Amino acid sequence: MNWVGLWTLTKREVGRFFSVYRQTVLPGLISSALYILIFGFTLEQRISEIQGVSYTLFILPGLIMMNTLTNATSNTASSMLQMKLLQQLPDLLTAPLSGFEIALAYIVGGTVRGLVNGVLVLLLGVFLIDLPVTDPIGTLVFIFLVSWAFSSMGLVLGQLAESWDQLAMMQNFFLTPLSFLGGIFYSIHMLPDWAQSLSFINPVYYMINGIRYTILGISDSSVMFSFWMAVFLTLIFTATAILLMQSGRKIKQ
Amino acid sequence: MPDPAIHIAGLTKSYGDVQALRGVDISIAKGEFFGLLGPNGAGKTTIINILTGLVFKDNGSTSVFGRDTVTDYRFTRSKIGIAAQELSVDWFFPIEKLLYFQAGYYGIEPKNAMNNINDLLSRMGLENKRGARLRQLSGGMKRRFQLAKALVHDPDIIILDEPTAGVDVELRRDLWQYLRDVHSNGKTILLTTHYIEEAEMLCENVAIIDEGKILKEGSPKALTQELGKAGITVQLNHTPADLVQYLAGFTYTQEKNRLHFVVKDPDSAMPKIIHELSKSDVHIQNIATSSSSLEDVFLDITGKGINE
Repeated sequence: MNWVGLWTLTKREVGRFFSVYRQTVLPGLISSALYILIFGFTLEQRISEIQGVSYTLFILPGLIMMNTLTNATSNTASSMLQMKLLQQLPDLLTAPLSGFEIALAYIVGGTVRGLVNGVLVLLLGVFLIDLPVTDPIGTLVFIFLVSWAFSSMGLVLGQLAESWDQLAMMQNFFLTPLSFLGGIFYSIHMLPDWAQSLSFINPVYYMINGIRYTILGISDSSVMFSFWMAVFLTLIFTATAILLMQSGRKIKQ
Repeated sequence: MPDPAIHIAGLTKSYGDVQALRGVDISIAKGEFFGLLGPNGAGKTTIINILTGLVFKDNGSTSVFGRDTVTDYRFTRSKIGIAAQELSVDWFFPIEKLLYFQAGYYGIEPKNAMNNINDLLSRMGLENKRGARLRQLSGGMKRRFQLAKALVHDPDIIILDEPTAGVDVELRRDLWQYLRDVHSNGKTILLTTHYIEEAEMLCENVAIIDEGKILKEGSPKALTQELGKAGITVQLNHTPADLVQYLAGFTYTQEKNRLHFVVKDPDSAMPKIIHELSKSDVHIQNIATSSSSLEDVFLDITGKGINE
């Protein structure tokens, strides 16, 4: 194991997104603050409570989850694609680093970004609307697992994509709909039966409800099922990302 | 006999229907300055990319100091520093930081890399640019940074893929001098180039490659002697009848008092010619040599110029 190499690449990946924090950290925080302001001061007065909590509180766990997973995904996806397109990848592929080490460093980088963004939105909720976090450890576990899982998935997308257009397509047509249809803004009990059934095959639905339970103590799904789904997704996406990196597909000829 | 620094045997590679390498054999001794000379698309970069793990080979073997570059890649890659033809772009970090990262990928911790990085930045004239981003450097500085990056982990073998492509004459000569210095420190250098002059001036041995096959290998001098046709032209004051008998062992043409000898090696042939001419009653008025170059050899072997 090349521990120094692994640590160096991890530092690079974390340093990369911190060096452009205006693009990678602030936007999620600002858009979440806007959601809170718009829903808190306007729409909330016209929307009744959901499962005993105000609408702004209800959506906040979903916003945390959406920020976490979109940031974790885009960190690895954009970094990998950028390295491919700007000829930086040969520096890594010709170094004594294994595919496992390269994949791991990228995944950790994306996980840190997901964690930072998720935790910042969580703190925003705590300070702005007194978000009650009933199980802080559970919340952090969910944020971590989702960061790791979607960071791995982003790495897969980044490695397979050949252009920014392709990557944007994968994110816009796949990830964003899954997030919005995962129940950020509603309880699935508000949906017709057929739409409820569709939600059960959306993995993001379980992530949102899992973290909602750890924060507000309410959920549409079993929290243990959500937890094991998060673990399952983490394992599947991590294994896929590592195997793909080891195969060299789309990055070696 | 020690293992060669680089050993390649029967290497083949195809990209779809295009056969890029057709059974390449190369052996480079430790400490050798070796050149791969061939036109664009000859297969030079493919060989390098297979050696360093960027391209999967189809068949054949590649080893570095006797160890396989696929199964023992951590060892072989740690011995190689590569300056690729394409300049990479990284706009996130200053160049000094990039060198620390590069050292780190090779398992060198920052405190151990510091001296070498300071030395390299100084030698490459980049000391004042250590905080600059790559995009802020001139083309020549980027090339020098590329070389510094290849040397940051103090590798035994340095692979340079067209290091002077698109570089002005002055910088090219600076880089040549630097490469000579690096080589004199005992490093093995594998250089790919399509500049004949570069191979001729720097390399102890060259392999001429075209269409994925090594056509000829040897020192530039040996190749020009073996395959080139050098000439010695001698202007005499007159040509006595007995001259023919003294020059029987030479290939030459005569035009009045001017003799043109076709020789392999002008340096060794000239004293012999003068010796034979001195047996006759002639005065030599002028002697001129025209030596063959590697370019003639390349033309002779491939039937085309290197930039065609």
